[in-house]
Amino acid sequence: MSLQEKYQTILELANQNGTSYELSEGDGVLHITGNAPSEEAKQQLWDEYNRIDPDYRAGDLMLDINVGGAAAGGGGGHTYTVVAGDNLTKIGAKYGIPWQQIYEANRDILNDPDKIFPGQELKIPGA
Amino acid sequence: MKQRSLVFFIIAATVLAAACGKSDADLQKAVSAKLASDNVSGVSVAVNGGVAMLSGEVADITVKTKAEASAKSVDGIKSVDASRITTKPLPTPVPAPADPMLQGKVDEMLKKAGCTGAIAKVEAGTVTLTGTVPEAKFAECIKVVNESGAGKLNNQLQKGK
Repeated sequence: MSLQEKYQTILELANQNGTSYELSEGDGVLHITGNAPSEEAKQQLWDEYNRIDPDYRAGDLMLDINVGGAAAGGGGGHTYTVVAGDNLTKIGAKYGIPWQQIYEANRDILNDPDKIFPGQELKIPGA
Repeated sequence: MKQRSLVFFIIAATVLAAACGKSDADLQKAVSAKLASDNVSGVSVAVNGGVAMLSGEVADITVKTKAEASAKSVDGIKSVDASRITTKPLPTPVPAPADPMLQGKVDEMLKKAGCTGAIAKVEAGTVTLTGTVPEAKFAECIKVVNESGAGKLNNQLQKGK
């Protein structure tokens, strides 16, 4: 049985509830990357996944569903919330990118790379 | 007398044709029309003795199932053979971010989702999830990793209280 067949009911639900999706497959894993029109629609897909694989142990599906328009997949935006003791270099190291990239991506809220505050939400480019 | 037998013959022929149902050519047209109206593309149909043979390459498995159901719903089709519909080979997934980046992202997302107790370890794009989280949080923690851009999830997370 192909992975598409195994998870066919998830795809059919997506067609019914208006979730657009794309499929890819590699390393024995089926990736369903999509956009659901609502949280309920997304939850329906997860409920179906849960029915097929109750504890999600098979390791052969990655279900990456966004809600409403946001870019699907790992390439979208990601934010990091600054905690006490952080600096850009430290945050950059966490994501394996130079601090300058984070600074540039957040010029709208940062004027000085040395001045960041706990609770600030920083956009992490490429993460 | 001759004319009478001719009329009889015509009536008999008509009755016989109606009993046999539509011709394969008619059925072929009907199935093609039904597939088109159901927005099934990439599937061609041949009918032989009332059996619809579908073939072609479709985007994914759901289209194959839909094509089969559409063809079956056409009046006069006895059975449908969809074994010659193939699904398009899928592209390979977008590569996972570099391990340190993915690690940072997964850690951050788990924290944000309140998955304290879940431990993620990233290696070559695969996230191995261990530790224990409350049962109510379990699905959410799995979701987070699915949405991190990771290539694969090795889920060993346990449900606790």
